Amino acid sequence: MTIADPWDQRISAFLLSPSEFLATTTSESFLAEVLHELRNDKANDQLKVLLVSVLLEHPTILCPSSSVGEETAVELLSVFSNVPQKSIVLKCNIMLAITNVIICTSCLATHTKTAEDWLDLLFQTIQDTNDFRCGLSQQALRATACDCLREMETCNPGLLSQKLEALYLLKQQETTVLHQSYCMLYALGLKNAVRILAKQKDVTDLEFKSILGGNEGFAWKNSQLGLTSLPINMMVQVPCLPPGLDCKELKSIMSSLLDESYLLTPISQSALLRELVEVVAMVPGLSPTLFKSQLLRLFGTADVSLMHATLFMKDTFTDSLFTAEDENFLLKRLVGTAQHPLLRISEKLFYMECILHFPENRPISSSGEESLPVLVTPRLAASLHPTVFNDSATMLCRLNLLCLVHLEADEGEADKGIDYLFDHIMALLKIVDNDGSREVVVTSFRGLYIFLTHFNGVEQLSEKLIDRLCDMYSRHSRLAPNLIGLADRIQENLDDPVWSVKLLRGLQKSIMEMPPLQLTIHNLSWHLKILKRVAKEGQITQKNTIYLLLNVLINSNLCERGNWQVGNAVLAVCRNLLEHPSIDQMFIELADLLQYISVHYDDTDIKDHARFYYTLLTNLSWEKLTGLLVKGLDGGRAKERSHSAIIAESEGIASNLTVHKTNRHVLQLIKVHEKASQNSSENSESSQTMAEAENWLEVYQSQFQTPGFGSEVTLRYNLTHVKESDPLFDKVFTICLHFELKDSNYAKVSDIHVPCVFKDRKPPEVKVKLKPFQPYPTTLCISAIFTTQDGRSWHSRLPDVGVSFPEIFLPVPLPLNTSCESKEQVFDHIWEAAASGNPDKSAISLFCFKTGDESLATLIERHFQGYLITDHPTERLWKVLFFLPPMCHVLLKITQAEDAVQVSVATDNWELLPFVNSYLQNITDQRSTTVTDG
Amino acid sequence: MSIRALWVVSHEKGESGKVRFSRRFPTVEFRAKSLAGTQYVAIPEDCVIPQLLLTELGLVDADKPYVEVRDDCARQHRSPAVELRFNGPGGRTLWPVLTVTQGPLILACLPLVEAPPGPRPPLPSLASVSQGLALLSGLQDFLCGPGGKPEPDVQASRLAALPSVLLQVCPLGRPLDTPPPAGLVPAAVAPSPGGAQKQPAWKAGVHRGRAVVSVALTEKVRSMQYGKSSQQDIWDVYGMVMCKCEVEGVLPNVTVTLTLPPNGSPLQDILVHPCVTSLDASILTACSVDENDGSAFSGPYKFPFSPPLELFRLCSYTSQVPVPPILGSYQLKAEENHLKVNVVLKLHESVKNSFEYCEAHIPFFNQNLMGNVEVKVSSGQLEVSKEKNLLVWVLGQKFPKSREATLEGTVYFSGTVAGPTDPLCTGLTAYIKLYFRVPDLTLSGCSVDQHSVQVYSSAKPRIVTTRELVSSEYYIWNSTGAAPVSSGLVVL
Repeated sequence: MTIADPWDQRISAFLLSPSEFLATTTSESFLAEVLHELRNDKANDQLKVLLVSVLLEHPTILCPSSSVGEETAVELLSVFSNVPQKSIVLKCNIMLAITNVIICTSCLATHTKTAEDWLDLLFQTIQDTNDFRCGLSQQALRATACDCLREMETCNPGLLSQKLEALYLLKQQETTVLHQSYCMLYALGLKNAVRILAKQKDVTDLEFKSILGGNEGFAWKNSQLGLTSLPINMMVQVPCLPPGLDCKELKSIMSSLLDESYLLTPISQSALLRELVEVVAMVPGLSPTLFKSQLLRLFGTADVSLMHATLFMKDTFTDSLFTAEDENFLLKRLVGTAQHPLLRISEKLFYMECILHFPENRPISSSGEESLPVLVTPRLAASLHPTVFNDSATMLCRLNLLCLVHLEADEGEADKGIDYLFDHIMALLKIVDNDGSREVVVTSFRGLYIFLTHFNGVEQLSEKLIDRLCDMYSRHSRLAPNLIGLADRIQENLDDPVWSVKLLRGLQKSIMEMPPLQLTIHNLSWHLKILKRVAKEGQITQKNTIYLLLNVLINSNLCERGNWQVGNAVLAVCRNLLEHPSIDQMFIELADLLQYISVHYDDTDIKDHARFYYTLLTNLSWEKLTGLLVKGLDGGRAKERSHSAIIAESEGIASNLTVHKTNRHVLQLIKVHEKASQNSSENSESSQTMAEAENWLEVYQSQFQTPGFGSEVTLRYNLTHVKESDPLFDKVFTICLHFELKDSNYAKVSDIHVPCVFKDRKPPEVKVKLKPFQPYPTTLCISAIFTTQDGRSWHSRLPDVGVSFPEIFLPVPLPLNTSCESKEQVFDHIWEAAASGNPDKSAISLFCFKTGDESLATLIERHFQGYLITDHPTERLWKVLFFLPPMCHVLLKITQAEDAVQVSVATDNWELLPFVNSYLQNITDQRSTTVTDG
Repeated sequence: MSIRALWVVSHEKGESGKVRFSRRFPTVEFRAKSLAGTQYVAIPEDCVIPQLLLTELGLVDADKPYVEVRDDCARQHRSPAVELRFNGPGGRTLWPVLTVTQGPLILACLPLVEAPPGPRPPLPSLASVSQGLALLSGLQDFLCGPGGKPEPDVQASRLAALPSVLLQVCPLGRPLDTPPPAGLVPAAVAPSPGGAQKQPAWKAGVHRGRAVVSVALTEKVRSMQYGKSSQQDIWDVYGMVMCKCEVEGVLPNVTVTLTLPPNGSPLQDILVHPCVTSLDASILTACSVDENDGSAFSGPYKFPFSPPLELFRLCSYTSQVPVPPILGSYQLKAEENHLKVNVVLKLHESVKNSFEYCEAHIPFFNQNLMGNVEVKVSSGQLEVSKEKNLLVWVLGQKFPKSREATLEGTVYFSGTVAGPTDPLCTGLTAYIKLYFRVPDLTLSGCSVDQHSVQVYSSAKPRIVTTRELVSSEYYIWNSTGAAPVSSGLVVL
């Protein structure tokens, strides 16, 4: 097959999960490969479009900094200019990619040269209207360029504010389908220009006029408006130009834009209308009546975005454009469209939301909450009553709306309406009762929830509901979790939790009244769930529950069967009973039950648990008992976990047993900076005996006979929280750090365990031991598994840690008290050997630099302190030795000549030279350097 | 007015979802980040999107009766936008995700929230929401076509074409247009001639060739008939005018006029295509949610427009007609293991007795499979589908002269195998569903006269107008059983 196939797979793998894909390579190298392939003349357009897509979708992953972004943009630009004229689609895609890269890596915001060049090129492209000579296909390029400019103007408002005249002329000249692109670009530029002016304090007629006649460069200075430019409906105060400005020209421009709006696609028309509405709102000299001529067309439209733009207009201009009659009419249209048989469900749902947030001319409140416009009466909304034939979303949406309608309605009307809604709920429950599907069950409970949140006060109805639900439960015990969920949610969200208690009491009663035949193992587990929940209610007496449990255990073979799950579910009920405030009244019964289980239940674990509860019950006061049971740092999950019910019988438990994954960084490793001198080798204890030895080189070399000698570099880090971490992670425990290396130059790093990290405490220190095979710089990819306070386990990646070349340096591994002379002896020996080409890989090199403000001595003290062998300031000669595990040496002889410093370099591994060179370049910084290899 | 990302996810029963197409818009994401500040929630990687979406839509773990994250009753699925929750309980959420489900395909997009960080703004305050909805609708039409169920290979090729479609309609996350609906792209198109007249953005070129204007008026009638004094029968009619105009010129003017008979009830809830250039205020006044005053405008309804190249829906309306076209009565009597059935259908005298087809489907749910069927019809034929527990009464092209047809007899359920079930139709709750089409008829009386179609262009076009009446959700409930209420209109 062709070469494209692996690319296909690689790119779809990257797009599906960039993080997983980049675990096996770096973004740098992947980007380099992509750019390289883009320059490959043999690759076809289709492949190149695919390649560009990675930059189109994830520019910030591939270009993590603005410098990389800039380089990439330059690369793409050169690719762009080499793409043949006919490859329109590819050209358009590259155009979009460059725009993406430039905006997303902040090249635009920081006003880089590349961004400037790119803007110029885009503007030239849209000005080059002679492209018809190349056929219509070239139009796509201009359309794309317009959209790129529009996006750049959106991200940097005001950029085009001095080019409005040019843009206007372009818009006027264009008669092809492209005029939409020019029109939208102009409208956006105009709006932003007006907005910038409106923020200014005093605006003269001249300034105002000059924005329309602008034909200059890009206005970079305006970027202070930044991205905070919200649409005006989101602003507390709309910026306004002073009244009295001469708006004649602007008015005629606005009119012509509106007249031509009809030529735009509906989506673009709606966008244009919004821009123009904002302009009118900011310019007091323009009257909203400008839009009057468009209103009828808009009122009648079948297009959702145009209708939405009309509502925006209504919201902005209220009664200065819409009379009370208009308002009434618009609302009626909305109610009509919200149930129009020919519209799509999502559109109708949206229109219903629009009714609940209808911009009234005289709103009673403006809280942003759902509220019913005064004009929506039960009669008007009658056609929106929910029915069992509606799809779930429509039904729930209508139910919610109608609940609000009848809540507000006059008494007589309201009763009728509420009765209808109640009948509807009953009809839903009937379907559930007739074995409706899971979707019907879920929808019905959601409907119940909506109804109850509005009408739980209507006692007669809410009691009827309880009867009905209990009745249904006796036939369908599988509804237990739905019923528990309903009771929980209603209790949480209503001030008055009485309804839930009544429901639970009813459910307890219906379980008690069930014929024994219905208490099969399968149903029993549902009943136990209900009873467990019922046991949490202090207002419900629990004696019956205990009798029932005892009765079931005695009169069935459950105890002999010894099913752990059933036993555990029974104990879960008991556990909640232990906490019950009326425990004194059922003390004996509960004790009997627990004792019975501990003796008869044929499962050791269950027996033990029951005995444990029995002990707790009989030995502790209720206060102590509840205190113990509630223990756990914040109640919740830890509580459930610490005692019974350990197995996955609830989802909460399941969440405790899984390791959650967070894509955000939680922890990080920060290098501990230390003086090089402290970093002396740990391998230098047994030394004094050798003090008298003569040949220090032999002594030195013999040390390496010991396996593992000097083979490790220890790096010290602080394990801390990242800056903006979730408070959930403020205290984490039992952290296990796992290290992955991106190359094979190092031995595997073993996991490190840290007991805890608290955000407000001193960070623990972590020592990472690296064993190089080759002492090259590397990157550590680190992940952590840890536990949060609520008992959940998490997996999270840490930011990568780079290990630079100098971090691998060790002082020469000689005993601590070795004399300077002896050290020098070793140094000279190694130097001579290297100079004479022994071993084979030895090499010598020279590096020169000019000393700047900083004296050579300072430089040496700062960088070579721990590695100095001899220090002869008077002779202007220094000898430096870096030891790099497993057994490499880099030796420096530094001499100061008249105008430059010479660094002679010797090493027994020439492959290290590039690293040495860049290291020296780095520390000597910006000084002129020359290098000669020897 | 932008969207942050777009997905097409497929979901086959019993399988986990799969991303079939996705597109992120990084410059919009860049804006989202800066608008939301510390509240910014990044979009998760594509590999986790299907699971999140399917959970929200209630489509995961079909075998489990209750899953809290999926089924919690306080999570209200009553908005076109859902929120995706990740990182377990207490985690962050991505909102508002707009979704459209068609068969196994789920289309979703995430509009940009252009609002200051803080509490969630109401959905209607966000401009990008309606644009997102429009884009999704367009994508739905593009991917699924008019039939809604394309062959897998057709769909795959349409999915493969999405990148180039988006290059045109949404290159940088800002919708510029909706994708062209599949299968509706016209053939004979020439490039725009250029000149002073601006070419509309919704029209790629101009028509070349014979000039033809076709206007097709379709009315659909829905009905729920209960045959009881306690439950009022309801029916309604809605119509749409589909146009295809093959006319030369950049912006040719066409006017279509709908007329009603002298005492016809006014057309209501009129919605028009954006290509309609102007509307008379009186056309829009009639509204179905309003009480009707007799003085309402009743035509003629003039729609001046400049047509796009493709087939489009010029306008739609609803209408309240005084009687349903077919009035039915359905009576069931249960006796031991059989049901006595009695059906009478009456065609109203105002309706032309000339059908393209007319069928009554009589299903029996929650029974054992049928055995003997001893049923007689006064007109047409009866087809029995025993494995489906369904009687199909084919009335054919005409009702008898009396305009009345009856079906009478007994259906035995002697089998031991259970037939189809339905949670709604238990006991004696049962219905008949009618399917019919009458060419050249509308119930509202609305019509488009061939001579009233005006085209201002050099060549005189051929004008074709048609009209038809089609049934839609036409139910007749058994009057001896309880029937579900189907509309709140009758309550008040």
